Amino acid sequence: MTASALVELTIDGRKISVQAGTTIFDAARANNIAIPTLCNQQNETPVGVCRVCVVDVGARVYAASCIRPVEPGMVVNTASDGVKQARHTLVELLMSDHASPCARERQSGDCELEALAKHENVAKARYAPRAMRRGPDNSSMSIAVDFDACILCDRCVRGCNEIRENFVLGRMGKGASTGIAFDNNEPMGESSCVSCGECMVSCPTGALTNRLVTQTEIAVTPDSEPVPLHELQELPFFGGVSGTFLSLNRNAVVRRHFKPGEIICREGEYGSTAFYLLEGQARVSIASPIAHVKTKGSMRRFLGKLSSRLTQRQNDHREEETAQHWIHIDAPMDLNYDNPVAMLGPGDLFGEMTCMSLYPRSATIRAETDCTALEMLRNVLDIMQRNKTFRAKLDQSYRQRALDSHLRAVPVFAELTDKFIEGLREKVELVRFTPGQIICRQGEAADSFYLVRIGFVKVSQAHPGGEMVLAYLSRGEYFGETGLLEHSMRSATCTALDHVEVVRISAEDFASMTEQFPGVRRNLEEVGHERVKMNEERLAAINSTPLDSFLKQGLMEAQSLLLLDLNSCTRCDACVTACADAHDGVTRLVREGLRFDHYLVATSCRQCLDPLCMVGCPVGSIRRRNSLEVIIEDWCIGCGLCADNCPYGNINMHPFNVFTDVPGMPGMKKAMVKQKATSCDLCSEFAEPSCVYACPHDAAHRVNPRAFFANLLKQTTAKTPES
Amino acid sequence: MRIDRTHRTWLIASLIILSVASAIYLAYAQTSPSGPSGGSGIGLMFGVVGFLFMIFAGLLAARKKVPVWRLGRAQSWMRGHLWLGLLSLPIIFFHAGFRFGGLLTTVLMVLLIIVVASGIFGAVLQHYMPPVMTVRIPMETIFEQIDRVREQLVAEADAMVEEVCGPRNPPPPAPAGSKRGRAATMTTIATTTIPLCNFYNGEVRPFLQNESIQNPALAARAKAAAVFEGLRTLLPSDLHTIVHNLEELCEEERQFRRQIRYHHWLHGWLMLHVPLSLALLLLGCAHAIMALRY
Repeated sequence: MTASALVELTIDGRKISVQAGTTIFDAARANNIAIPTLCNQQNETPVGVCRVCVVDVGARVYAASCIRPVEPGMVVNTASDGVKQARHTLVELLMSDHASPCARERQSGDCELEALAKHENVAKARYAPRAMRRGPDNSSMSIAVDFDACILCDRCVRGCNEIRENFVLGRMGKGASTGIAFDNNEPMGESSCVSCGECMVSCPTGALTNRLVTQTEIAVTPDSEPVPLHELQELPFFGGVSGTFLSLNRNAVVRRHFKPGEIICREGEYGSTAFYLLEGQARVSIASPIAHVKTKGSMRRFLGKLSSRLTQRQNDHREEETAQHWIHIDAPMDLNYDNPVAMLGPGDLFGEMTCMSLYPRSATIRAETDCTALEMLRNVLDIMQRNKTFRAKLDQSYRQRALDSHLRAVPVFAELTDKFIEGLREKVELVRFTPGQIICRQGEAADSFYLVRIGFVKVSQAHPGGEMVLAYLSRGEYFGETGLLEHSMRSATCTALDHVEVVRISAEDFASMTEQFPGVRRNLEEVGHERVKMNEERLAAINSTPLDSFLKQGLMEAQSLLLLDLNSCTRCDACVTACADAHDGVTRLVREGLRFDHYLVATSCRQCLDPLCMVGCPVGSIRRRNSLEVIIEDWCIGCGLCADNCPYGNINMHPFNVFTDVPGMPGMKKAMVKQKATSCDLCSEFAEPSCVYACPHDAAHRVNPRAFFANLLKQTTAKTPES
Repeated sequence: MRIDRTHRTWLIASLIILSVASAIYLAYAQTSPSGPSGGSGIGLMFGVVGFLFMIFAGLLAARKKVPVWRLGRAQSWMRGHLWLGLLSLPIIFFHAGFRFGGLLTTVLMVLLIIVVASGIFGAVLQHYMPPVMTVRIPMETIFEQIDRVREQLVAEADAMVEEVCGPRNPPPPAPAGSKRGRAATMTTIATTTIPLCNFYNGEVRPFLQNESIQNPALAARAKAAAVFEGLRTLLPSDLHTIVHNLEELCEEERQFRRQIRYHHWLHGWLMLHVPLSLALLLLGCAHAIMALRY
């Protein structure tokens, strides 16, 4: 430092020398003179927006010390009565715009503004708060946003743009409506935010705080250990994440070691964590028999004793059973129907759906060699998944390993050549959506084709009187083809039901695919026409059925309903006993349900308008036939989620004794009870369902509801003037 | 089972059988010098036919044990049970020549009359009661689950009332001056809720909890409505929703009690009908063996 570069000035009566260009604020701090501030941080460019650091420099107006450079001979007063009064008023104004106590003050009592307010004896602001309130934004998994606590100090904006260079945060609006915004004012969780946490650690108030998830710690067991912060920071996928933020979340991730043969996670179990394999090889398999429940009469048919057994589709091909060869699981690859086994290696992430949406595990994963994995809760998984480095790696891994099988798993794409897929590999885009986010909207121009990679997508159409759910799509299913093929608008709205990731293929690539492979186009058109036809039929059925209650109960769509005529039924339960007798003691019928007129619609599949049973199946083994009845494919793992989800209790879990291999002991088998989901099959072996056959009072009927209730509907319609 | 026009075929067949049997009996009674007798050829024929009808009627119970055996639809068996069981009475009368005979035959005749009468009683109940149940018990549940549903009702009511009245079993008071003691003081029940708490603990909860407790005020819908209306006048309006919900729960409980009562009527007669039918068949066998052998 040379003498010529030094500037001499007086602060609060003390003569000091500092380098030219230094701000008054920094000069004061270097000489142990404290000036309060809110918007100024050492590692960020000062902007002087909060004005709390005002000082008297003898000019017409007070100056913001954080941006005003020192001048030779300057006389600065940081605590004159006027400055104190101005600062007090400024704090009062800021407090009037700050929802006090904010989340940070409530959680840790260290909101900088509220601490300053206490220091300035600002108990209650004299000014009215802003009339317009934006409220909270809880869309992010790891950061809670409360816009009403924001004082527009811009520390988060500078943290995001200057320090991390993510350029997600900015200001929007003018005057009193100014506020911070993520991207183009998107909810934080839906924005391009990478969850680095810099904004949160920069924020002086409770506007951006660490989100407390329901479970914030993973219990440390003998085979697991907490990961020290410095080690976490060294991992490439946590690069760029704020150390403070990572420190707040470090209990949500542990390192676990597995010996060969040890199970990492088991299919059907519920969990809340995902695994990232650091070292070793793990084997993915499905232990449940790949078979469906076949109820058969065989020799004892006369006795009506049906026996339920597990049968593979090669031996018993059911109507409309899928011919797909790939079983979609919650891992970077799909399993082959004939040999459902695959290997995972270092760098593979699995259990994403379980972790993000709390679905049951879709497969059993067993350590093949000594394995080390990070087990993490969803706040950490979210940080990882938003990390640019990790996203790039995940995308690359998907393109290289899974896109091929994923596309080929869809029967309509069977004829795509390796060369074409190779070309597509670098063009497709993986896009994530948060629960409730709209992927494409009815009436919009069709610009992409989508293939579901993770999660569930609800396809619905808006109609006068409400929304009609057309389908729930899970991994391996696709949407958006109709609009592209017909060059028309989107015919339905597709919404992410949970944490969804889709593969987006642009309209140009899609057009190129359909031009090169006319067979694919033909297949897509056929499926599209079928879908349109089915939707039209359903809509026609709705429009021609005037009874609200009839609709609400989902009766009009049913092909076949079990009705109990309550005027004849003596409640003897012979129907339930017969159903249990016919199915190895597991009844598929409960004599309870909704009533329509004097009929009880006993619980048996009614092909609902909104088939909730299909949401969440971790392996996508439950789906609708074109007849709208459900079919449970062979790879059901017996987790029971569909049975839990069905609001009418129409799906039952049927236990079977099966023999499975003992790990590490070739040739050895052990008996296990495995479950398979079943629903009423109408005792298809017989001319009449057992429940109807066994009713002594002529009260049980299997009917087509539209035909059966036709007269009743006519009568009721005639009685209702407005209909 | 409802006795409606679908029973016409069985009715006509039964009338034809009865007419033919009556004609045979009349002709036989007039031509037989010593009067009709069970031991004669025709008398024996009536006995065999009547007993076969009884056996068929009795087999319904066995048929119900194997509901899915393809032995004919259960409702056909039930119709056969009703009409052939009914026919067995006049046929056996023809067999006995309208006499009761010795001790065993008298017992048999009395049993037959009771069994047929109880059967008719049961058939009438099963014809009329289901529609009544449908109308009067809209909240009907599965009979075996009533106790479980009742427990859920009590838990639901407890949760509702505890929100305003505090826990039913509060923790023991903490030593004076402790933090816990101060917290307990803070949750003191507001005086305005006292009528609700007392009414719930004294009247509603016991009524919901225990079927055997007869509470005349809550057992009848009209009286209960008046009682709840009176309670509303004692409470601030923000508690009226809870009162309404409690009233609904009491209505549900009343319906359960009604369902239990109806269920006992619908199936209680079988306690008499089934064992006496079994006794009738066993004694009928004994009578047949004794009559044929001796």
